[in-house]
Amino acid sequence: MKKLKQNAPAIPILIWISLLVGMPLMFVVVLSFLSRDSLGNIVFRFTLENYKRIFDPVYLRVFLNSFILAVLTGLITLLIGYPVAYFTTKLQPKKRSFVIMLIILPFWISSLLRTYGWIILLGKTGLINSLLMQLNIVKEPLNMMYRFGTTLVGMAYMLIPFMIIAVYNSVDKLDKSLVEASYDLGASRWKTFLNITLPLTIPGIAGGFTLVFIPSLGMFFVSDLLGGGRTIFLGNLINTLVTRGRNRPLAAAFSVGMIVLVLLVLFIYNRVAKDKGEGLF
Amino acid sequence: MTKFKGILPILLAVVLIFVFTACGQSKDSGQINLMTWGGDFIPREIIDEFESETGIKVNYKEVTSNEDMQSLLEANPDQYDLAVVTDYMVDILRQNGMLEVLDQSKLSNFSNINPVYQGNYYDENNEYSIPYAVSTSFLLVNPEAIADLGADPITGYSDLWQEELKDSIVVVDWSVEVMGIVLKSLGYEYNETDPEIVEEAKQKLFELADNIMRFETNTPEDSLINREAVVGFMYSNQAVKGKKADDKLEPVFPREGMPIFIDSFVMSKQAPNKDKAYTFLNFILQPEIAARIADITKFTTPNKAAEEYVSEEYKNNPMLNIPDEVAENTSFYINVADVLEMYEHIYSEFKMR
Repeated sequence: MKKLKQNAPAIPILIWISLLVGMPLMFVVVLSFLSRDSLGNIVFRFTLENYKRIFDPVYLRVFLNSFILAVLTGLITLLIGYPVAYFTTKLQPKKRSFVIMLIILPFWISSLLRTYGWIILLGKTGLINSLLMQLNIVKEPLNMMYRFGTTLVGMAYMLIPFMIIAVYNSVDKLDKSLVEASYDLGASRWKTFLNITLPLTIPGIAGGFTLVFIPSLGMFFVSDLLGGGRTIFLGNLINTLVTRGRNRPLAAAFSVGMIVLVLLVLFIYNRVAKDKGEGLF
Repeated sequence: MTKFKGILPILLAVVLIFVFTACGQSKDSGQINLMTWGGDFIPREIIDEFESETGIKVNYKEVTSNEDMQSLLEANPDQYDLAVVTDYMVDILRQNGMLEVLDQSKLSNFSNINPVYQGNYYDENNEYSIPYAVSTSFLLVNPEAIADLGADPITGYSDLWQEELKDSIVVVDWSVEVMGIVLKSLGYEYNETDPEIVEEAKQKLFELADNIMRFETNTPEDSLINREAVVGFMYSNQAVKGKKADDKLEPVFPREGMPIFIDSFVMSKQAPNKDKAYTFLNFILQPEIAARIADITKFTTPNKAAEEYVSEEYKNNPMLNIPDEVAENTSFYINVADVLEMYEHIYSEFKMR
């Protein structure tokens, strides 16, 4: 009874979540088992055909492609984001909040516009190429657009704040006395970092990785604009199937597949975070 | 009490949102609810003129796909009067029983519509739809750059397979259209489902892979303007923009024929303001208005009588002022589920190689 009283304030939010998250999710799951007619209308006839289809070798490669992109995005944001977060915590409080503000600032601008910004930078007649040509470093403009790498750069740029903030919180919460103890016992800076700081911030890293991994599966416009649509990721495929492909049941099956992929990552994250006794979620 | 301080404004906002959305949809109050593409597809100045002339307010809902329009219309058929959808969607909506059979006696200006754009497969007897804007897709090329690459001049789809054009073609990103290019180049028609023909087209499509530098649906003309690409397969309004930005670019109407899209007005069967919707349709069908719309939107007008009133620029532009015999040599994409299924899979395999 006491427990119920304690949890009472959470009930409205639970209802809210089950309505706005649970219901659509159930809808997607149910939809993935339905068929469609020749006009693309949804027909209430149970089928496993959609799931059979996502195990087609071509579509499995789409899954793999998205997975690779998401993992690489996670790794790149970690490699760049960790040092940024680490050194930010070492700043004076005033400078610290200024840096954090700078990291969050781009979020105020539409992500679509920021993606176009990359096109202006990297295009054949873009800023970087013009500069390199002016300085006679290259004769022919470099081909930097419409590649897997371009998508990766755009994706990492778009999601790096999540990594920085997650790691920043983790480093900030770190018990400073442990670091001091390490120095007192004669450990070098590197040794202290590797043996104390890094292991203790692993939950932050795992949290940041998860926060980057999940949205990178769905941001189809980045690969459309920067990748030139030359490969397909899950987000693109689902987007096409829902609209012009007129195959919502199949799109729903792909979405369920994507959710499974996300759950897998969340499961791993939970294991890591639990081991260390803290977590983001 | 302080605890609830934060919640109160949110609750208030939610209540207000409900109140306002309820107001927006009130019936028969001197307004029509119209749904179609954004980006001034029906120009604001034309709508303003209609509003001040008749006192009927137009609620313009912008959407980004035919499928969105279908979803919205099927979810709330009594909240929309008119929509402008693409040919194949007229067919789907009428088969789903969503559309009102138009009362020709209330359409004083329907005879202005060019017969070429009437009675197509999606509405054989002109019962459900009124053509509003016509577009095609074809090739926009940069002849100089093509010569520089040592490639032969381009006159049709089959010229796109030249080795010299490696990494220099931009195409709209849609399986049905890319497959359409391949099928036409092999002498077949769009929407083929014969497995042997589709397999042949698939192999031919794979050979094109190295030449395509980019798939882009929204602004393919930009790739030609900034010299990334030398050939682009795009919609006519995009080609018009490209040509306007860079006079070196030339349209090529492929000798194999080209696809056509007819965006048409349809009326919801449960439209709340049918009479006012007819008033709007008659207004749009006026030749002077149709001519101005064509000049602003850069879409071909299906209004034959409007040809008298269009600007010189439109008249002299073969991309817009399509001769009737060219218009007759075009074909539609049908977009039925089987075709989509097959083509989408091939297209995915093509991109994932």
